[in-house]
Amino acid sequence: MAPRKILLVDDSETILQMEQMILEKSCYELVMARNGEEGVAKALETRPDLILMDVVMPKMNGFDAVRHIRENVQTRGVPIVMVTSKAEAESMETGYESGCSDYIIKPIDSLELVAKVKNLLGE
Amino acid sequence: MYRLSNSAATTPVAKQSINGESATAPCSGDRSKFYLHPGQLFVASESYAVTTILGSCVSVCLWDPLTEIGGINHFLLPMDVGDDQASLRFGNHAVRELIEEILGLGAEQMRLRAKLFGGACVLEAFRSRENHLGTKNVQIAREVLQAADIPIVGHDVGGDRGRKLIFHTDNGSAWIKQL
Repeated sequence: MAPRKILLVDDSETILQMEQMILEKSCYELVMARNGEEGVAKALETRPDLILMDVVMPKMNGFDAVRHIRENVQTRGVPIVMVTSKAEAESMETGYESGCSDYIIKPIDSLELVAKVKNLLGE
Repeated sequence: MYRLSNSAATTPVAKQSINGESATAPCSGDRSKFYLHPGQLFVASESYAVTTILGSCVSVCLWDPLTEIGGINHFLLPMDVGDDQASLRFGNHAVRELIEEILGLGAEQMRLRAKLFGGACVLEAFRSRENHLGTKNVQIAREVLQAADIPIVGHDVGGDRGRKLIFHTDNGSAWIKQL
């Protein structure tokens, strides 16, 4: 069985590396994007099983990226977890209204991230 | 006096009241406002309007109707499985700690009432499964409250959408906006 594919969308290399380090242990195939626009393109191109999406990014923010992903029939059903800071957490009402599935607050806790990923992948 | 524990306000726009009252937006009146983040716990002897956003996470709201002492937690995972036993991210610890903190402010356990919110599963294919994270979070909250003999007098759990919750610590009023 092919490994589940997760798309990581973040403009911070540090966060991408951290997410990669945590998720590689669970043998997921990982794809990276470094802004919202690239995230939308990669979502269409790679059809991931789940997306981790940062909020504040250049070119296109995470909420807009989620809206675009949800508007496309080929990607509208993919689970999306927003990765947000505490200061941005109060804006998660917007995140849910954009179409995200859940959220996690930085600094990322590995146990929480894996639990939410597994939950949304039905594992 | 209020106490905020960690694991580490905007004008509310409510859509549904969870205590049988009118489903209009709650008036916070003189209540101070507080935003509760995941992994936090908040208790107060003064009146507060506490807001939080829930997905698969769960919030237990507790209050003593006589003393008007109340509190709320927001936990992410059901049970601690390692050394991180003190973390309020875990429901088994977060609910017990909430009870202890409220009693510490002078509430009486036999008068405590609870309301339960959250535990959504956004994926329809998994919603009927008993082992999805939201269901497990709700279950652990119910178990701990039952063990403490605290009745759950209101709830809005499960479903497929996130929730914005506003809880008034003095009288237990709670409003939910489906997101």
